[in-house]
Amino acid sequence: MVLRGLGLPSALLGLALIIDPTSAASQPQAPASGGIRGRLDIRRLAKPVERRPDVAAPGSPGPRDVPDLRRGLVYLDTAPRSAFDEREPGRAVMDQRHERFVPHLLAVMVGTLVDFPNSDLTYHNVFSLSRAQRFDLGRYAAGRSKAVRMDRPGVVRVFCDIHSHMNAFIVVFNHPFFDVTDVEGRFELPSVPAGTYTLVGWYEGEARTTRAVVVPPAGWAEVEMVVP
Amino acid sequence: MVVGCALMAFVPARPAAAQWLPDEPISIAGGHFVLGAEIVATVAPDDPGFFNYTSYEYSAIRNFRIGVAAEIRANDYLQVLGEVRLDQGRVFEAYGLFVRIRPWPNRRFDLQAGRIPPAFGAMTRSAYGSGNLLVGQPLAYQYLLSIRPDALPASADDLLRMRGRGWRSSFPVGNRAPAPGLPMINTSRWDTGVQAHAVNGMFEWTGAVTVGSLSDPRLHDNNSGKQVVGRVVARPSPALAVAVSASQGSWLDRSFDAQAVTRPRQTAVGGDAEFSAGRILIRGEAIRSSWTMPEISAPLIDRPLVATSLLLEGRYKIAPGAYVAARGDRLDFSDIMGSRGRTPWDADVWRVELGGGYSVTRNILAKGAWQRNRRDGGRVPADSMVSAQVLYWF
Repeated sequence: MVLRGLGLPSALLGLALIIDPTSAASQPQAPASGGIRGRLDIRRLAKPVERRPDVAAPGSPGPRDVPDLRRGLVYLDTAPRSAFDEREPGRAVMDQRHERFVPHLLAVMVGTLVDFPNSDLTYHNVFSLSRAQRFDLGRYAAGRSKAVRMDRPGVVRVFCDIHSHMNAFIVVFNHPFFDVTDVEGRFELPSVPAGTYTLVGWYEGEARTTRAVVVPPAGWAEVEMVVP
Repeated sequence: MVVGCALMAFVPARPAAAQWLPDEPISIAGGHFVLGAEIVATVAPDDPGFFNYTSYEYSAIRNFRIGVAAEIRANDYLQVLGEVRLDQGRVFEAYGLFVRIRPWPNRRFDLQAGRIPPAFGAMTRSAYGSGNLLVGQPLAYQYLLSIRPDALPASADDLLRMRGRGWRSSFPVGNRAPAPGLPMINTSRWDTGVQAHAVNGMFEWTGAVTVGSLSDPRLHDNNSGKQVVGRVVARPSPALAVAVSASQGSWLDRSFDAQAVTRPRQTAVGGDAEFSAGRILIRGEAIRSSWTMPEISAPLIDRPLVATSLLLEGRYKIAPGAYVAARGDRLDFSDIMGSRGRTPWDADVWRVELGGGYSVTRNILAKGAWQRNRRDGGRVPADSMVSAQVLYWF
């Protein structure tokens, strides 16, 4: 059972369809699984958001860390129906450390509870006005943490109301076939049922590249993708 | 067989209409040149009592402002910062322009020289739309008193005749043409001088020497004296900041030097505190400012003119991107002895402002407010008005 798109990127449509290629008379059987692995080559890394020029400040702001922008995201544009089976909600962490969110990019499944601990000595105020998840955790100090359950799939842009340069992405899926790359761009999507899929390379808020991939019944489909 | 199912809802984080607008500072040359801006449109009905007018002769709540700030980060030791503003489509000024030197990059100690930001008080950022919970500005930082640096009342009666008429006061000595008076602290202009700033643990220290005064910041010196300003902020916890400020400086034009035995000075002290936790933000501030005046003719102004400001404001976030806010604000004035007895030298003023804001996106904010002003004198003793503001920043 395979999901296929409508010929337009679901990233733009915000919608995909589950298409069952087998007829109603077909016998159900466990699909053979392979996997997809490879590398997302990000040719031009995004620049970290600079602090706004604070001309009204009596002095320079304190030191901060810049976010790690070397990681991208790879996911299946359409997914097997089994991907939508009920799963135990997970838990993930997006830390606030030295005026940056760590990690800068987090990918989770719907239902995941994301913790936002504050590891700085100053206040932070995590919020998002994204349609996928609107929340405002208010101000809280070092050592404290608040959590948000990601209820809907989509891109959640996360900011700090106090430090305008702090920003991060949480991408929420309702299937498990996604992976945040390592700093070299390597990724792995294991246990993908055999079939043909569209693989999407995503970076800093946009789907930048797509690729058709045939997943064998066993073993890995190797993929190299380039984000120009 | 087709089974419908929403898979990925990659809706953009910003409405399509706003996507072409930058939402972060423009960085050029690897971060050595950074540009930011704030564009604010504010509408309100006519203000016949001139409660919201500024020293630039326009209402703070009827304005269209484009402010552009730039920072040149030459290296870890040296930066140049500047800001230009266009108000009302006609008033253009290089608001701030200064060099910032950090002698030891690993220590939070900075020297700033040029047209520098004000060091006194907690509410100087209220001149920015994004730094102001409401639409109107705090009285102490905007409301025009009757006193002027270029015109003097010869007697207490001359001063008392101008009570509640700071928008356009006139006096018999010096420049006799009617013109706006001074606010307690002028954030419509910045002063010129040098400033030192340090952060040491929970304390933040700022000191400055400038050519103008709190009420009358100057690009060029006009008063034959310097102002000294200091401010110390203590942050015992992230939730609480407590600060004291003090300043003293010459404020009167040097053309009056012959009329004064000692150089007329503005002296101010202030204390402020901010508490925030969760969805709540509360600020309070008290300022006492005095101005010494030359004694010219009877009935004499034989004591410093004192103004006292009290302010309390708060914000509560009611939902993601939405908040309500309120401010209570008051200016009181000391008594002077005129021909008809003792009277406050300017008309006491109260202001209450209630409002709220809604963030359309992270950097587009719409605000609305209702404001009630009451004054113990003047041609229009009370007025209420509704104002709205839209601001965009990057």
